[in-house]
Amino acid sequence: MATSFFSPLSFPSVLTPPCQRSGLAGFHRDTMRIRREAAAGRTLTVRAMGGPKYMGTHTREKKLAEMIEEKVNDAKEVCEGDATSDECKVAWDEVEEISQAKADLRRKLMVEKLDPLESFCSDNPETEECRIYED
Amino acid sequence: MGVCTTLHTAAAAPPCHLRGFYQHKQQVLFYRNTAYTPRCGRAHSAGLAVRCSGAAGETVVIGLAADSGCGKSTFMRRLTSVFGGAAEPPRGGNPDSNTLISDTTTVICLDDYHSLDRTGRKEKGVTALDPRANDFDLMYEQVKAIKEGKAVDKPIYNHVTGLLDQPELIKPPKILVIEGLHPMFDQRVRDLLDFSIYLDISNEVKFAWKIQRDMAERGHSLESIKASIEARKPDFDAYIDPQKQYADAVIEVLPTQLIPDDNEGKVLRVRLIMKEGVKNFAPVYLFDEGSTISWIPCGRKLTCSYPGIKFTYGPDTYYDHEVSVLEMDGQFDRLDELIYVESHLSNLSAKFYGEVTQQMLKHSDFPGSNNGTGLFQTIVGLKIRDLYEQIVAEGASSPLKATTTKA
Repeated sequence: MATSFFSPLSFPSVLTPPCQRSGLAGFHRDTMRIRREAAAGRTLTVRAMGGPKYMGTHTREKKLAEMIEEKVNDAKEVCEGDATSDECKVAWDEVEEISQAKADLRRKLMVEKLDPLESFCSDNPETEECRIYED
Repeated sequence: MGVCTTLHTAAAAPPCHLRGFYQHKQQVLFYRNTAYTPRCGRAHSAGLAVRCSGAAGETVVIGLAADSGCGKSTFMRRLTSVFGGAAEPPRGGNPDSNTLISDTTTVICLDDYHSLDRTGRKEKGVTALDPRANDFDLMYEQVKAIKEGKAVDKPIYNHVTGLLDQPELIKPPKILVIEGLHPMFDQRVRDLLDFSIYLDISNEVKFAWKIQRDMAERGHSLESIKASIEARKPDFDAYIDPQKQYADAVIEVLPTQLIPDDNEGKVLRVRLIMKEGVKNFAPVYLFDEGSTISWIPCGRKLTCSYPGIKFTYGPDTYYDHEVSVLEMDGQFDRLDELIYVESHLSNLSAKFYGEVTQQMLKHSDFPGSNNGTGLFQTIVGLKIRDLYEQIVAEGASSPLKATTTKA
């Protein structure tokens, strides 16, 4: 069990990079909230800056978010029986993999402002995936 | 079409070819000497000038061990920035490729050498951390081939679908960085590395970073994040952690000791553990090499805000090796603190006074820019550049010697 970790109360503002410590942290939180609300079906009133340019990337982002939820639930189920079993390990490893993939995608879009489909879509603009994403 | 600028050595004028064209119908190759395999960076966007390596040496291979994902990107971006240019995914290829290419450097993600995809791992009950999920034979073969100047068809592991996609062609660059969970696991691959780095994040810091990463996601909670780390820990400790002993440089990230008891995880204590006796690598030191120093730069000449900055330096042993350890606890608030610190460090391999500060400022928006992680990553970048230049110089001088003895 997690005895080596310090208490949950002591790390809220963790290691935010300098640029995010003030306004930008708020901006990031708002962006995430807007996305959650949009995903929950509520109307989007503001188009956040940065974010997916192409439909394909938006779909992928949504899919990853759903997968995280799904896989966390799977892992909890699997580990109920035996928390030290191989199945339990593998289930949480999958959660980690998807979480990292989503974080990488978010970073590419928000920080590097580069849609991964950019070069593919410049060669294939007519495909469904390369439709420009509008909220 | 393009024109090659050639650098003449006594051995032969190096050949060039235009890298960006290989995927399309035509390949335009200008060869001067077919005995050499071409080794060049990307063609410039003007389409006319091609930069080529003048060295008769091999590709320099760097290993970087880090948990969670490739594109341990902050480090990679700093590193490629030291060499100049930005690293980008290969144009026109698989959008889920993990590879990054800049003019001088290619970064390969070792997850591409998974022998089992996500379904396969589930069936066998192994995590990605387990060596059984990775094809070390292929890793060795391909890294060796690239090092010898041959292009390879490297598989792509797609992190989104969890499948192994069609391979992509990797041409030998000047510098190859292999990044992932197991760069130093296999002995044969280890022997190919010219330099290796291990990023050692302590449990508390890892937890804090993962919370930062995941809390905004629906589905995640403190418990799930904690559970995920806990579940992976046995495999991590068994397979990944032991690689530390093989690394030439370890960057250890710990919570600060400057703030007693309470630690929000904002301030970090970072240790740069540098192995002694590594070829082409001279450890950074403070004031007097080989002695033990404890230094608080804040005082009369420099005012710092709480909690300040503390440096220590000294020799030590690490897994039975002689090492030198440079440690920074605290954070930089101002530019003059950074330049002040830089001016007191030695063996930085900077090309000019203030280069470290300049690099840090260039990327002041990157995480870790105000503490030891950014500082030491930048310094390691300069060290790698120095190592690369030394290797190239060694390679260039030997053919000259050969011709003079012939004459």
